[in-house]
Amino acid sequence: MLSGLVPTEYYVALSALVFVIGAVGVLTRRSAIMIFLSVELMLNAANLALIAFARQWATAGAAVALSGQAAVFIILAVAAAEVAVGLGILVAIFRYRHSADVDTLSGVRL
Amino acid sequence: MLSFILLATVMTVGALGVVTLRQPVHAALSLVGTLLTLAITYVTLQAHFLAAVQVIVYAGAITVLFLFVIMLLNAQGDERAHRLGWVKPAAYVTGVVVAVGLMFTIFASPTTLPDAATISAALQGGNAGVLGEVLFSQFVLAFQLVGVLLLTGIVGAVSLVERRAAQEDREQELPATTQRERELTRA
Repeated sequence: MLSGLVPTEYYVALSALVFVIGAVGVLTRRSAIMIFLSVELMLNAANLALIAFARQWATAGAAVALSGQAAVFIILAVAAAEVAVGLGILVAIFRYRHSADVDTLSGVRL
Repeated sequence: MLSFILLATVMTVGALGVVTLRQPVHAALSLVGTLLTLAITYVTLQAHFLAAVQVIVYAGAITVLFLFVIMLLNAQGDERAHRLGWVKPAAYVTGVVVAVGLMFTIFASPTTLPDAATISAALQGGNAGVLGEVLFSQFVLAFQLVGVLLLTGIVGAVSLVERRAAQEDREQELPATTQRERELTRA
């Protein structure tokens, strides 16, 4: 048990743990920047699970196994775009409201 | 296994730091620690190219962008109480329940890992060559769409900044008294 490759479950469990911590952060933090940081945590947890599953599927051949890693690469690019646009919106909001507190940003509430 | 436990501990502590630390700069630096630990974990999973990309793009570019915005806005942490007071305890309870439930589900059906030779033959260390081959054959449509998305992101970010600059010009053209009044009403 203490030698050799670590089973996939352990990686998926770690990924689930980090994902849940990120989700709790999204729910409990009020500053929009902190919520962004927590969302990044959740994205990375999903990436870890995908890479762990890519290794698990090694018996199905290189094309199938590596598609997990290719998906992670695409998620990375999407996350980079999301951060750029999201932080741009955040700066715009901060200029108007002088606060990144999401509690005060209830302008679109019905 | 020992290295995995060490990595998992550091990663969990870093993730908890992101969620609990009050100062945004501290939380962002804690996120850097978590992302670097993730990069090492990718190496142990034979995804070497992605580990390098993780360090360069995530721990490098994205975190620098975060720190830049935090320092530019001089953003403070959470000071006042939550307007919806019940959200915080409910979130903690939900998080613990979901985490425990996921652990049970994950460990309920243990899987057998293929042997090391099969893994090495299929993943080939996850280097840029084999990954690029898959990316440009199976995932070529997704790759193109990511290109379009990045272009849209650039245009969106530029348009946000540009609109702001035009409004600031208009504000500066106003007489000083009017601007002072506007600031007072805003405050």
